[in-house]
Amino acid sequence: MPAETISTPRNITIDPITRLEGHGKIDIWLNAQGQVDRAYFQVPELRGFEKFAQGRLAEDMPQITSRICGVCPTAHHMAGTKALDSLYQVQPTSAAAKIRELIYSTFYVEDHTLHFYFLGGPDFVVGPQAPAAQRNVLGVIAKVGLETGQKVISMRRRLRELIALAGGKPAHPVFGLPGGVAKRLTEEDRKKFQEVAAEAVSFAHFTLEVFDSVVLKNSDYVNLILSDMFIHRTYYLGMVDDKNRVNFYDGQLRVVSPEGKEYAKFPGDRYLDYVAEHVEPWSYMKFTFLKPIGWKGFVDGPESGIYAVAPLARLNAADGMATPLAQQAYEKMYATLGGKPAHHTLAIHWARVVEILYAAERMKELADDPEITSPDIRNIPTAVPKEGVGVVEAPRGTLIHHYQTDEKGRITKANLIVATQNNAARIAMSVDKAAKGLIKGSDIPEGVLNMVEMAFRAYDPCNGCATHSLPGSMPLMVRLHGPQGEVVATLRRDGDGTVRR
Amino acid sequence: MSLRVLCLGNSLLADDAFGLLVAERLRGQEPHVDVAEASTSGFDLLDYTLGADRLLVVDTFKSGALPPGAISVFREEDVQSVPGGSPHYVGLFEALRLGKELRLPVPQDVTIIAVEPADCLTVGGPMHPAVQGAVEAVLELIRKQSVVRPGAHNCG
Repeated sequence: MPAETISTPRNITIDPITRLEGHGKIDIWLNAQGQVDRAYFQVPELRGFEKFAQGRLAEDMPQITSRICGVCPTAHHMAGTKALDSLYQVQPTSAAAKIRELIYSTFYVEDHTLHFYFLGGPDFVVGPQAPAAQRNVLGVIAKVGLETGQKVISMRRRLRELIALAGGKPAHPVFGLPGGVAKRLTEEDRKKFQEVAAEAVSFAHFTLEVFDSVVLKNSDYVNLILSDMFIHRTYYLGMVDDKNRVNFYDGQLRVVSPEGKEYAKFPGDRYLDYVAEHVEPWSYMKFTFLKPIGWKGFVDGPESGIYAVAPLARLNAADGMATPLAQQAYEKMYATLGGKPAHHTLAIHWARVVEILYAAERMKELADDPEITSPDIRNIPTAVPKEGVGVVEAPRGTLIHHYQTDEKGRITKANLIVATQNNAARIAMSVDKAAKGLIKGSDIPEGVLNMVEMAFRAYDPCNGCATHSLPGSMPLMVRLHGPQGEVVATLRRDGDGTVRR
Repeated sequence: MSLRVLCLGNSLLADDAFGLLVAERLRGQEPHVDVAEASTSGFDLLDYTLGADRLLVVDTFKSGALPPGAISVFREEDVQSVPGGSPHYVGLFEALRLGKELRLPVPQDVTIIAVEPADCLTVGGPMHPAVQGAVEAVLELIRKQSVVRPGAHNCG
């Protein structure tokens, strides 16, 4: 039955099907008039992690958690390592902390760059209105040029070589230990980091120019960023240093209100005082919200406990960037967007580029620091373990690892709050708003699939299980359900781009 | 022409460990075969493909239409992934296409041996007996593929 003939209350499901069913799924509920009543974003979650962790040695967690996720293993490794510091009540030595942050900054440049060019790129570099056949990685290459594409790949390769050099393995690093790192850097290693860091800074600068010339000079794109369809006034959470500047590796967690005022600032191990989880019957996802404010439903504003994480939220939650070029880029971004905080979901792409520049500059600062080659890389823990919390800013947002153990360090309870979970409520609202703006009556244009996807893609939602999915494309399916939930019609975009009803 | 067998999977996620199990067996039984294994996604996969003329990929593939343990064999050109599909997604095929476009030494000949899993979402979950039982058949397929002349089964 074609979609157009349906006029009773129903829900539409845009369901990306992959090998693991590891990508997000969108449920859109329509009212009797065929207008969007509400839309939700869902993520299939891995099952059984808590049970799997129980009885294992906490010291294995940085390795185990990094292997669960094929997308940002370095972030899990780092959060796990910091949770071990906390569990064993030991601080890393100054050199070890710098080595960790150096590796982490290197990882950030790589991860953010790939996202900007190849995942976010189809929306902004190629353009939201471009024909479907061009809106992909090859379209990005056609737009930015072969040489730039090769530069991205070669930059990535060198960054990964450095992570392998310092972290043991490129994909799943093994360097983090409670109280330090497993390996010191030699003078020769340092030179390599310095060399690549200098290139990374100039590459980040170049990327900002690409953003400027391709996106900001195109009024259609700017209007889309500024359009109300992609705006939400929520709280923002991010990690800051002692001067309230963005930090990915360490610091306190800071929350700013939708008006841009500091709402709270607290050390990571107090997260349970500020963050609570809300459960909805339609989702496995536990939606986090600000506990003192409470869960008020999927609504904007200062009375709602919904908050966001990830690049734009981090920049909103901070007073600035800790490096000079990134600070300039930060100021320019807010001047263009009309001040702080910026509530524009699509500006997350812009904030991501500002963060590439910061990560590259920070990488260079750390590589230039003579202490980075110090042999003093480990404080040996002596305390009896009980409970530990480790927090980092993963590229996709605040990541919290929390372990409780017996006196031998065996896990009795493990809790992870991952970036996408922090963003889940706002993502659902973004999808909701985009769907309401785009779907009118019972006609569902094909372009809706792209635009609704754009609404959640800006967040770069990380679905832990979404590894190397075959068949390599992400078909989308819109399912129309009748009032009793039965499937009455489908609209499907296949891996080859064809749309069938 | 050089052949590499790339085994994909995640040892923590129930049936998703399949590819890694094949890699382990292959290393023990066929020491002359170039075996690579990976648990990563997207562009990271590109690193494991470069430099080989022919690539055999072993992975689980949830079609939902086949019983657990069912084996499908297809070739890169059977999968039309770019253009089309999601503009935002990068998997093995997008990475290969991009590599080709950027003139990197990607394999000319890519065959996928995919096994239908029952569950790839339970951390530490057991493997389905039928999926585990497919290991032998896949090893045999790899042995056959590794002696087939390149291009002999070109469907494109």
